[in-house]
Amino acid sequence: MAKIGTPRLTDSRNGKGGEIHTSVARSLQTGVGRAIAHHGEFLQGVFEGEDGRLHRGLVTLPLVGCQAVATFWPREEGRIRTRPAKRSKAARAAAMTIEHLGLAGTGGDLTIDSAIPVGHGYGSSTADVVATIRAVAAAASTRLRQSTICRLAVAAEGASDAIAYGGDALLFAHREGRILEHFGGDFPPLFVVGFRTDDSGPIDTLRLPRARYNAEEIQLFRVMRGLAYRSIREQDPRMLGRVATMSASICQRHLPKPRFETVLDIAQEYGACGVQVAHSGTLVGILLDANQHAGGQSAVTMANALREVGFRNLETFALNAEGIVAT
Amino acid sequence: MSEPGDYLQAFETPRLAQLAANLHTAAFPLMKLMPARYMVDRAEATGHLRRGGHIVETTSGTFGLAIAMLACALDYRLTLITASSLIDPRFKDRLERLGATTLVIDDPAGDGNQHGRLERLQEILDVRPDTFWPHQYDSPDNRLAYARLAEQVVRHCGHLDCLVGCIGTGGSLCGTGAFLREMFPGLRIIAVDTHRSILFGQPAGKRMLRGLGNSVLPANVRHEMIDEVHWVGALPAYATAQALFRDHGLFMGPTSGAAALVAGWFARTNPQAATMVIMPDEGHRYVETVYNDSWLSTLPGWPVAIPSAPTDLDRIRPAAETAWTRFSWNRRTLAAVLAQQQ
Repeated sequence: MAKIGTPRLTDSRNGKGGEIHTSVARSLQTGVGRAIAHHGEFLQGVFEGEDGRLHRGLVTLPLVGCQAVATFWPREEGRIRTRPAKRSKAARAAAMTIEHLGLAGTGGDLTIDSAIPVGHGYGSSTADVVATIRAVAAAASTRLRQSTICRLAVAAEGASDAIAYGGDALLFAHREGRILEHFGGDFPPLFVVGFRTDDSGPIDTLRLPRARYNAEEIQLFRVMRGLAYRSIREQDPRMLGRVATMSASICQRHLPKPRFETVLDIAQEYGACGVQVAHSGTLVGILLDANQHAGGQSAVTMANALREVGFRNLETFALNAEGIVAT
Repeated sequence: MSEPGDYLQAFETPRLAQLAANLHTAAFPLMKLMPARYMVDRAEATGHLRRGGHIVETTSGTFGLAIAMLACALDYRLTLITASSLIDPRFKDRLERLGATTLVIDDPAGDGNQHGRLERLQEILDVRPDTFWPHQYDSPDNRLAYARLAEQVVRHCGHLDCLVGCIGTGGSLCGTGAFLREMFPGLRIIAVDTHRSILFGQPAGKRMLRGLGNSVLPANVRHEMIDEVHWVGALPAYATAQALFRDHGLFMGPTSGAAALVAGWFARTNPQAATMVIMPDEGHRYVETVYNDSWLSTLPGWPVAIPSAPTDLDRIRPAAETAWTRFSWNRRTLAAVLAQQQ
């Protein structure tokens, strides 16, 4: 950003600055940005902000091993072309980032290469958008603040999850793109056995009706938020698992996952800490304490048990666990 | 109402402190601000309370003070119905200084005449149906308000094995207890009551220890949540309140003394159990009584030696104001326990 002379911008906006476009584009380079997926949420609900009002918010379960990569080739022409075609949210994010950086008029080619499945609650769309914002910033040889990335992401797609903050443990207002509370530490070490409960196909997560919570649930969210904070403070996977199970159970009233009781039974049978879900998706994850002796082995045997009762698309991954999970 | 910088919100926050290796306390300046504020907030949000509206409640205790503070700060009119045996002139003056109207009902039996108070309250509601009655005895909002306390306890202490608290309306103990048990399903909940309160099956009678117990049964008392009940007499409660002041600098009311007595015993006898005790109010209202040696010296049985353990009861019965009794309730309904007592 420092390379760009802001006063020139006014000229380019007035359409008088063809030459300036050229000089701007010349100062840009090819930029690459990455963003991780998530595996739904540990906690989702409404929470009191510092303003005393209630805000929709969530605590995301990061899925570090699954990423979207965006590459941005700046061009002088003021249009954004995407590959694959029609990635309109990513294109909008690119345009807004260009605008934010004071490069209005710049266009370019945006390629998105994502390993994240669409429509199950992995946050594929946000990952595309965040990777794009980072790629455009990289093209201008700058790094945007995480808070800025979130604000741009919300502007581009109407909501954003917390993945701009990578694996940080925080309570995030996803409709507003800002932090409600930073829990101030890593998530406790977990192994996650994840799967999709429903293979009837992807769903349009942004079009789901917003959950309406009753007074009792809203009050319960307060205490769950407190326990999430404490689980990170104490590095206690059990406490976080408890929060996740309660949150998943509340979610059953809004977007029920089929055979949820079966999942709870299997989680209990294998001594899991809890069960989490994608609150707007089909994902379910069973959480295991990675500190526990042979936690990785439990993950494997539990995955087999889940497969036997008919769950498909099983994946096992670690969060802040130093051991290796064999699958 | 929940404007940033709202002092009443800070006022409702307890001090969380450690009293022993496995014993924490949530010591409130005025606990009832927590349900009072939540109920007023909810009434505003649901349209039951409009700008400049009228609030009525039957109370002789700290809920009255809390709602009077809120009503005054927020410009509501307030009528509090109390009984002649329950209110002293200083406290009445304090309520009226906050703009509250106090209606004092005759109370010849000395049991608080709750029925007479409720009749009077109903008359007011009949004449002015737009009046908001918080109904702290039966409104579930009373219990829901304590999520805020449960959150603070969870943040401060983490895992908890046992919660000890006084029971009067049931709001604080059953509210906090329900939320905490959601987090820690093995949580033990101990109710602290006093002799001749009817909440856990004793016959009604004149109670010397005020601020806990009841002569009617509020819906917010959830018997099936309670693991054990203790009935603490006034004298050990007063003596323990004084001990709290000497040992910890905690200047609390007598119900806090009763709760601390029970919690201290439980924590001593269960050293592995992380225990939390709720202390509902400070000692200022009791300087002429609990903290006044010449007043105390008029009481039969004073000075009292604080018992080191409760007397276990098989049959529920009242005892002297010097006594401390205990009964294993085991999460049963009142009807189930009473049937067994026949």
